[in-house]
Amino acid sequence: MKKMLRMLTMSLLAAVLLIGVVACSDSSKSSGTGKSDGKKVTLDFLWFTDGVEGDVMRDIIKDYQASNKNVEVKLIEVAYQDYTTKLKTMIAGGKPPALARVTDTGDFANQALDLAPYVGGVDKFTSQFLPSIKPYYVKKDKIIATPMDVTANGIIYNKTLFKKAGVDVPQSPDDVWTWDEFENAIKQVKEKGGAKYGLLVDFTPHRYSTLLYEFGGSIFTKDGSAPAINNKNGVVALDYFKKLHKDGIIPESVWLGGENPNNLFRSGTAAAHLAGNWMLSNYKDINNFEWGVTYLPKGEIRSSVPGGKYVMGFQKTGVEKETADFIKYLATKEVNAKFNQDSLFLSARKDNNELNYSFGKEMFKVFSNELENTPEVAATDWGNQVVISKVTTDIRDAVVEVLSGGESSKEAMDKVAEKLKAAIADSK
Amino acid sequence: MERVIKQQSKMKTAKQLSFQTDKRKRQMVPYLFVLPNFVIFFTFIVVPAFVGLYYSFTDYDGLSEMNFVGIENYKEVFHSSEYWNIFANTFKYAFAVVPLIFICSLGIAILLIKEIKAKGFFRAIFYWPTMISAIIVGVAWKWIFGDSFGVLNYLIESLGFTPIKWLSDPVFANITVVVGTIWARIGFFMVIFMAGLQSIPTSYYEAAQMDGASKFKMFWSITLPLLKPTSFLVLILLLIESFKQYPLVLALTGGGPAKETTFLVQYIYEFGFKKGELGYASAMSVVLFVVIVIFTVIQFKWTKGGTID
Repeated sequence: MKKMLRMLTMSLLAAVLLIGVVACSDSSKSSGTGKSDGKKVTLDFLWFTDGVEGDVMRDIIKDYQASNKNVEVKLIEVAYQDYTTKLKTMIAGGKPPALARVTDTGDFANQALDLAPYVGGVDKFTSQFLPSIKPYYVKKDKIIATPMDVTANGIIYNKTLFKKAGVDVPQSPDDVWTWDEFENAIKQVKEKGGAKYGLLVDFTPHRYSTLLYEFGGSIFTKDGSAPAINNKNGVVALDYFKKLHKDGIIPESVWLGGENPNNLFRSGTAAAHLAGNWMLSNYKDINNFEWGVTYLPKGEIRSSVPGGKYVMGFQKTGVEKETADFIKYLATKEVNAKFNQDSLFLSARKDNNELNYSFGKEMFKVFSNELENTPEVAATDWGNQVVISKVTTDIRDAVVEVLSGGESSKEAMDKVAEKLKAAIADSK
Repeated sequence: MERVIKQQSKMKTAKQLSFQTDKRKRQMVPYLFVLPNFVIFFTFIVVPAFVGLYYSFTDYDGLSEMNFVGIENYKEVFHSSEYWNIFANTFKYAFAVVPLIFICSLGIAILLIKEIKAKGFFRAIFYWPTMISAIIVGVAWKWIFGDSFGVLNYLIESLGFTPIKWLSDPVFANITVVVGTIWARIGFFMVIFMAGLQSIPTSYYEAAQMDGASKFKMFWSITLPLLKPTSFLVLILLLIESFKQYPLVLALTGGGPAKETTFLVQYIYEFGFKKGELGYASAMSVVLFVVIVIFTVIQFKWTKGGTID
């Protein structure tokens, strides 16, 4: 009896272990499953959401699946903070997803599926999109992704507080503020309008670089062969960024205290937010105060920073053909228009530059105008994805070091320049 | 007769064999029970540790093919001033957290082992934070200490004082992290100390009381020496835990301001997964492992392995 009981216990233990091991394992060879022989195919699509675009993509997927019965596209949403790490881990583990939404295309250029053979060649495909973003998705005659939307940095402001302070914002590109004028306006909104915080700037080098370009600086030289971030203009821009913090125009709690600027703006206590156009859909539901978009103040020149989001397919998934077909579908005029119009984004397609937005049409015009007034170097800098993606953390850390008083702007930028040099050398 | 003897001897041998088989089986049972844990430990700790050691000699970035680079990563670690700054941050944090948690959890354990009213309630109150995920603890403390949104600054401002830069000032940020850690971990070590205290025979205290010993004398001469094995365990666990701190700090300060509260594990994670330098990150992990081993050995020698004198 005892023997039997022991045997039973052992068998149970072994069964539990076996079930555990089986449950932990993944039977599929890649994150896209199925075979390209007409059987049902599943495409795992890694995704992050800023506003409502996740829901829009779900609708698009539904439409696609209705006419492609053998394909199931599975949208896997991951928080943006963990997104790149998750994608890198999946690729490193030999199980890349079939598709992923990406911002830093350079990180995955070598693992991306070359779409050129599926879309009729590089020239035909690229001719449909804005030329300035070509470096983001074309690498050495390979199409590594399809552009979905373009982004621009701009100023979103709290209309209620500005009104209360009696401060009018520029209404046309001809009367944009200088940074000194903008500083005074923010001070007034704080004093008379009761704003607790002045200008919020997202904790990313991309948003900081707006100031860099406006002060005549850049990250690389025009040909991208050497760093330029530590030249005189680059140092002056960082000095000015520090001054804005010291004068209380920008609250230190974002860049030094890790506070979320979106939450601060939503609280209705901040005058303005230097953010991207994707925040329009995020702020759409604010109803405790009025907000709007105005032009970025100018330095030596006017500038925004172009960016965008792309959809990339991956190699070694076993479902490359279906992946390419779905990407082709996403790149079409109609689908691209639906995605951008409903998500409140700016389209990357030339023929979708005037969309019928249900909200904030005027605001999109301001963002588009910012892009039109952006120097080419901003696009080439951020389009140099293979190099820039390796040093963005270093640029951010260097700026923080200056803001906290640890280093001078020159010292910090010289260090970044060294890292840039190394990254440029590595990329060759 | 001879046949009977032979049969008996055969039966005896069979019995002996069966007994030996049973004995062997009985000896196997404990190993079978340990097996699941061993399989998990081997798969998720030992194998990755050796893989990490191997990576530390390569330039692996997680995506491209890896190349053997010898001890280059280690050279870089030892020449990196930033790594040693982060190491100093971690050491300072451990130096603050280990004794504070040790003293506080021992103190609370001594108080809660006595016959007081609502003992169970207080024990639960102190233990509850242990059950909350470190990330949640970090977020919760951020809501308290946040520069702009924090409850504490709201109160300070309401009283007419200038708000404190809890998270954007390096000194205050460090204090915040230490306070958060103590709150979150004190309950766990309190329970260990309570178990240790309960194992001390009350007769020692009764005898000491009869001899007229003061409470402090009893604590110093009975409690502390007899708690040595428990104290040793607590110190080792605390030291390892503080050197491995990551989620709470990540949620609370993000390692800022200006890396002032960035500790080794976060730094290693950022290099490995954000910058894609897995080889270098692995080398840093190996160095961290060696450092923890050295500290543990020193502690072991110093406390004579936690044995009671």
